[in-house]
Amino acid sequence: MIRGLWERETVALMLLAAFLPLAVVWLWFEGFEAVARLGLAALILVFWNLVFMLARAQPPSLAALVTALAVAMLAPEDLGVFRLVLGISFGAVMGELVFGGWGRNVVNPATVALSFLGFGFPAFPWPDFVEPVAWAAIPAALIGVMTGAMSFAVVAGAVAVMAGAAGAGILPEPALPAAGIVLVLLVCDPVTSATTTLGRVLNGALYAGLVTLFAANWLGAASVQIAVAAALLTSLAAPLLDEAAVALWLEQRRRRHGPH
Amino acid sequence: MPAPRFLSGLNLNLASPPPGASEPEEAVTEEAGLRPPSGGPLRVEALVKEDEIVAQGAPLARLRDAPEISLVAPMPGRIARISLGPGHVLSEIVLFRETGGDVARHPVMDVRSDREMRRLMQNAGIWPWLRRRPFGGMPHEHERPAGILVMAADTRPLAPDPRQAIAGRESAFERGLAALTVLTDGPIFVCARRGPPLVPRDVGQGRIQGVDCGPRHPQGLAGIRIHDIAPATIEAPVWDLHAEDVAALGELLETGIVPMTRLVSVTGAALREARLVRTQPGADLRGLTHRFLKPGAHVLMSGSPLDGHAARWLAPRHRQVSVQSRHDTALPPHWLVAALTRSARPKPVIPTAALAQAFGAALPAATFVRALSSGDDETAIRLGVLSLLEEDVALADYVTGGEARLAGLLRGMLDRIRTELAA
Repeated sequence: MIRGLWERETVALMLLAAFLPLAVVWLWFEGFEAVARLGLAALILVFWNLVFMLARAQPPSLAALVTALAVAMLAPEDLGVFRLVLGISFGAVMGELVFGGWGRNVVNPATVALSFLGFGFPAFPWPDFVEPVAWAAIPAALIGVMTGAMSFAVVAGAVAVMAGAAGAGILPEPALPAAGIVLVLLVCDPVTSATTTLGRVLNGALYAGLVTLFAANWLGAASVQIAVAAALLTSLAAPLLDEAAVALWLEQRRRRHGPH
Repeated sequence: MPAPRFLSGLNLNLASPPPGASEPEEAVTEEAGLRPPSGGPLRVEALVKEDEIVAQGAPLARLRDAPEISLVAPMPGRIARISLGPGHVLSEIVLFRETGGDVARHPVMDVRSDREMRRLMQNAGIWPWLRRRPFGGMPHEHERPAGILVMAADTRPLAPDPRQAIAGRESAFERGLAALTVLTDGPIFVCARRGPPLVPRDVGQGRIQGVDCGPRHPQGLAGIRIHDIAPATIEAPVWDLHAEDVAALGELLETGIVPMTRLVSVTGAALREARLVRTQPGADLRGLTHRFLKPGAHVLMSGSPLDGHAARWLAPRHRQVSVQSRHDTALPPHWLVAALTRSARPKPVIPTAALAQAFGAALPAATFVRALSSGDDETAIRLGVLSLLEEDVALADYVTGGEARLAGLLRGMLDRIRTELAA
């Protein structure tokens, strides 16, 4: 009879609101080329969403704009239109739309697209971010956590491990801005991160641990490349982390109430 | 943000006018309708004929499968209509009130044995007020529960406070609690918001325990509490009973008469003035609201705005009437708009903080919702689905905009589990 707010598109809108400060600062500093990239990415994603709507009656989602922003910000530079179209199409279709659209995907389409572009065209340079853009990731995370669209546990797990690693001197400081931006754009995605509180803490911690590991041992890799690779592996491990957290919860319950 | 367990849940501020008076008023309606309690069809045998005059508390019908259990008249009156479906399945029994009618009396005695207590509750019409889990509905005639939960808290939006309902009836409440200990070997839990203790120290040989409920919904729902403290299983069912009904049981034992009024809140955006009334079970919702309605189309619902349903009579166990404006359905949307918004339902549920809080952080919400929507009975049972009923997922349904239809999925799953067990 009466209905609450938190349906799928509301969550997508909240994510968009959270990314607004990040997007504005990034566009301000990068200028016209960034606007063009964002527009192109959005256009390709809207096209594929329409195709799946007409062919498979799959409702399109505003989350496509989040994906467009993530890809436009993090994709290697100077790829040209054709490679960009190829990579984004692969990510959107194979990463999200064939599973039934946003909310049913197992990996973030932006992560898939970026990994595809990174591994497929390794000769192109990864982007660097000026300092204000990295700082803008903090309000993004704040808005996301306050509205409940992003999980505090993921952010806390990642920040704790990164702070520890940076304090111990294992994580070089230049890797931090890109790691932070990828954290909010890709790892904090509510659909593909873990869903239990413990799983989310582990999810964030695993991401930060992988970033630290790659930064120390992956010679010649750009910091965005490191972060994207860590995000991909983390999202693949997320169901496992959830499974572990639920098994632990069940074990605690069994100890309290006896076996059933 | 993770909230402490005690504070988990949500505060819903649903629109309703302020109440006219703070003290409840007596409002027994001129008509009343007896409907079967939720939890499957009820095959009955009518004990009265239409147009017959009956006393308050007199048996109107008894169950065909358990003749000891009777449904009783909520007020002295004249039988207006008895509608039974095929196979003697109860549809409804409607009564008109007769002023100055009789009241049925039961023998007052010191009931100590399980058999006598059951017989008294079943004959006096208190038995249908009990609800069992798993699967819901009233318990079988001879079922012995692993524990009984007495709900002296209700966090549903705009619900009446059970502490107010039993105020001044403490001794009857204690007597009722002591009587419940006869029915089970397990503990009796009294769930209440923080306040003066409700659990007597010298009654029930230490088997009566108090349980604190948080202030937010769904902390004060029987299902969430049972899931937390005493999970129901197939072999070990758990019952729950409202505190006011426990006080009624105590008064029955003392005086031989079942008090037939209960504290009911009448609220909703389509009212000029909210009300708190003492009325009979099965009260006529139109009789309770007609002088207080705003002009315009409206829907009368028995139950809270979250888990209620449009009805003519106050449903068994319900203590809330919600009145909402009715918005007549608009024209069907354009095909393109329909394709954009209504294709491929149900839409997925995104695991946000709102979803976790809608279950009161009682279980891994996203895992549970996935098990429900994919029909994974085994995972759902391990997560505790047998302790839950539709009302316990109503908040999650509300929060996620009703896209996932969790209440329907849960009912389907429970029915499937019951059928598989019976086979």
